[in-house]
Amino acid sequence: MLNVLMLGIGQCGNRILDAVNREAFGGSSRLSKYYSRQKFPSRVETLAINTAINDLKELRFTAAKDRLHVPNLHGVGANRGIGKQGFWENREMIMEEIERRGDFDIAFVMTSASGGTGSSFTPLVVHELKERYKKITVIPVMVLPFREEGSIYLQNAAFSMRDIMEVESDGIILVDNQYLKRLSGDIKTAYDRINEMVAERLLFLIESLDSEMLSVTDLGDFKTVMRGGLGMGTLGFYESDKKTTSLTSAIEGSIKPTGLLYPADVYEDAARAMIIIQGSKEYLEVDEITKAVEKLSTKIGQVFKGIVIKKGRPKVLSVFTLSQVPDLEMLYAQAAQAIQDEKSKKTRAKKQLDDAFAYIEDLEEVY
Amino acid sequence: MRRIYLVLIAIMLLAIPFAPMVAAASEADEEVEEETTIRDFSLRVDEGVRIGDYRVELISVISRVDGLIEVKVWKRVSTFEDWRVMEILRDANFDEGADRGGLTITVIEIFDEDTVRMRAKYRSSYGYPQKYITERGMAPKNLPELEVTTALDRKDVSVGDEVKVTITVNNIGNATARDVAVQDSPPLPAFRYVAGYPPKIKNSLEPGESDVAVYSMVAATEGDVTIPATVARYADSKSRVSSASSQPQSVTIKPKRKPDLVLLVEPPQPISYGGRGTVNVTVKNQGDASAYMVEVKSNLKSVGDGLEVVEGNLDRSFLEIPAGGSESYSTTIEGSRSGSRIIDLLATFQADGAILQKETTFEVMVLERELRFLYFLPIVPVLILAAWLFRRYKEYKY
Ligand SMILES: Nc1nc2c(ncn2[C@@H]2O[C@H](COP(=O)(O)OP(=O)(O)OP(=O)(O)O)[C@@H](O)[C@H]2O)c(=O)[nH]1
Ligand SMILES: [Mg+2]
Repeated sequence: MLNVLMLGIGQCGNRILDAVNREAFGGSSRLSKYYSRQKFPSRVETLAINTAINDLKELRFTAAKDRLHVPNLHGVGANRGIGKQGFWENREMIMEEIERRGDFDIAFVMTSASGGTGSSFTPLVVHELKERYKKITVIPVMVLPFREEGSIYLQNAAFSMRDIMEVESDGIILVDNQYLKRLSGDIKTAYDRINEMVAERLLFLIESLDSEMLSVTDLGDFKTVMRGGLGMGTLGFYESDKKTTSLTSAIEGSIKPTGLLYPADVYEDAARAMIIIQGSKEYLEVDEITKAVEKLSTKIGQVFKGIVIKKGRPKVLSVFTLSQVPDLEMLYAQAAQAIQDEKSKKTRAKKQLDDAFAYIEDLEEVY
Repeated sequence: MRRIYLVLIAIMLLAIPFAPMVAAASEADEEVEEETTIRDFSLRVDEGVRIGDYRVELISVISRVDGLIEVKVWKRVSTFEDWRVMEILRDANFDEGADRGGLTITVIEIFDEDTVRMRAKYRSSYGYPQKYITERGMAPKNLPELEVTTALDRKDVSVGDEVKVTITVNNIGNATARDVAVQDSPPLPAFRYVAGYPPKIKNSLEPGESDVAVYSMVAATEGDVTIPATVARYADSKSRVSSASSQPQSVTIKPKRKPDLVLLVEPPQPISYGGRGTVNVTVKNQGDASAYMVEVKSNLKSVGDGLEVVEGNLDRSFLEIPAGGSESYSTTIEGSRSGSRIIDLLATFQADGAILQKETTFEVMVLERELRFLYFLPIVPVLILAAWLFRRYKEYKY
């Protein structure tokens, strides 16, 4: 059995973690926590970490003991410098809280790349985990901001992505709010949808890594996939509807742009991939799966496949890493521009202020 | 002619039965020397003897010393009557003497003022002398006569009861009774004599006068006792002593009277848990004597854990409960613990200086709490559910 640690840091990370916990209750009902019991595929420990106590209070499906407030900070106001400092000051307390939960084979650290707390804590937490748990596989799940959210968020995203690439993680899963914006016009609903999608896919992934599959994929295979390319990738998902139960179309569906969490042309950009098919036995035609996967392999290269027999219509999860991330480059360009703008805005403002102060130069207060 | 013969024959036939009579008559006339008998007999004054058609009556003893008595001799269906004073040992012929069909009487002995012995000679055909009482003897005499009655004032006698005995002596004669003395039976061991014993009566009682003696005694031992007749002795004017007695009476002396208390308890219906019940107690004296200083006590306090008296008191006392009487009271008790309890009730009382006891038991049931408990049962799952929900709420409340 896999020992899985799921950390949600910052508001975004907390909320995705809450979605994971909600998913584990098996219901969409808000009251499910009162009558149901969480069912995780493996031993899963969840922990929400935040500097803003109000963000922790907002959570609904995460047990109180699984919410860790980093004291003396009421949010870092998107300032990654303050965030980092806060982590260092509370490092032992945070890590002890994690270590109290026992040994882990894999950790998912979920955060927004653009906030203050999450984006500054995550690279440091990843580093600490790697230091303290020798054999752990650490997968950061980074949520990229809406591009119009402002220059500070863009800037944070750019620097935090660089930080996370620098620490030795085992591969990053990207989630792009901007790309998933299409799901709903209303931001709140969009967040919930995105969080739900991420939660669903991560639990699916954990379940398939821990199952006795027909065609075996294990943690090692997953690590191989995640280490491929740039060491960052995303997740795709497809669930057959009543009419189309064709496995080939389900597998193709899972790598179509509509099923992804981050915009990518899988056939062009993917470095390595893993396709996990789940469903009732009667749907699972091994030959068909093999054919479809082989077809993918010719385009992508290494494709692992896993088959999980579980009651229900076929569901397919695709995990892949990318050899090129044009969208991220664009984000950096935007970020650079934003930083530039921010700088000139600042100097202009400073100059304006200096000019204003010039009026009272050499004057004294008179009463 | 023939008719004359017939008449003659008839006359002759009729004449036949008379023939011996005619012959006898003629014989008596002819044979003077007929057989005689001599008989001795004693006579009292006013007594007489029948000898054939003759009657010999002793009128009185005139003088015993002189040997003179007075007799009256008469013959039935004839005019013969002879009053004569006779001298002792001298024959006297009456109606021409024995040799001529009369009587020859001799006084042989004079015993006392009343009684003499005589000898009579008469024709054997007169038979034996037969005694009778003369009309004079039967006529009332001027003598005292006492009547004695003894009466007990009660029929129903128990040991310890006082019985009053009334002796009434009444002179129903027509002369004064002298030297009257009553003699009651010697004291009976079955009784203790308290007062008035031995009974005394006036010394003399005029005709029609009566006197009463009363004494009282206390029955001492149980059993059947016969009270013998009371005898009154008295004398008449001639100092002749007579006696009269009452009827003997029999009395059954029952055992000593005693009080006998019974405790009748009407226990309450099973008491519901925490509820109340009433105990009704009746102390009844079934005996035939009063019970004094009656004290009723219960052991409720020692058994009655969870049973309390809330109204009245099970313990009571009464100064006296007369024979046949009864006292009732009731008590309210409350059961605060379920179960069945046996309660003793003890009555102590006094009778004749002795302390007696009577005991009874009764059961008081206090029902289980069960029913009320049921009301709480539906709450249990609700509470469990609420506890569960609260725990979950706490678990997720940050
Ligand atoms: N997908 C998703 N994105 C979110 C959610 N909440 C916030 N974000 C994004 O996260 C970024 C903001 O970062 P937060 O996580 O709120 O910031 P933080 O880590 O809490 O840091 P501070 O609030 O600055 O201390 C923005 O780009 C939001 O669009 C969410 O629930 N789901
Ligand atoms: Mg925040």
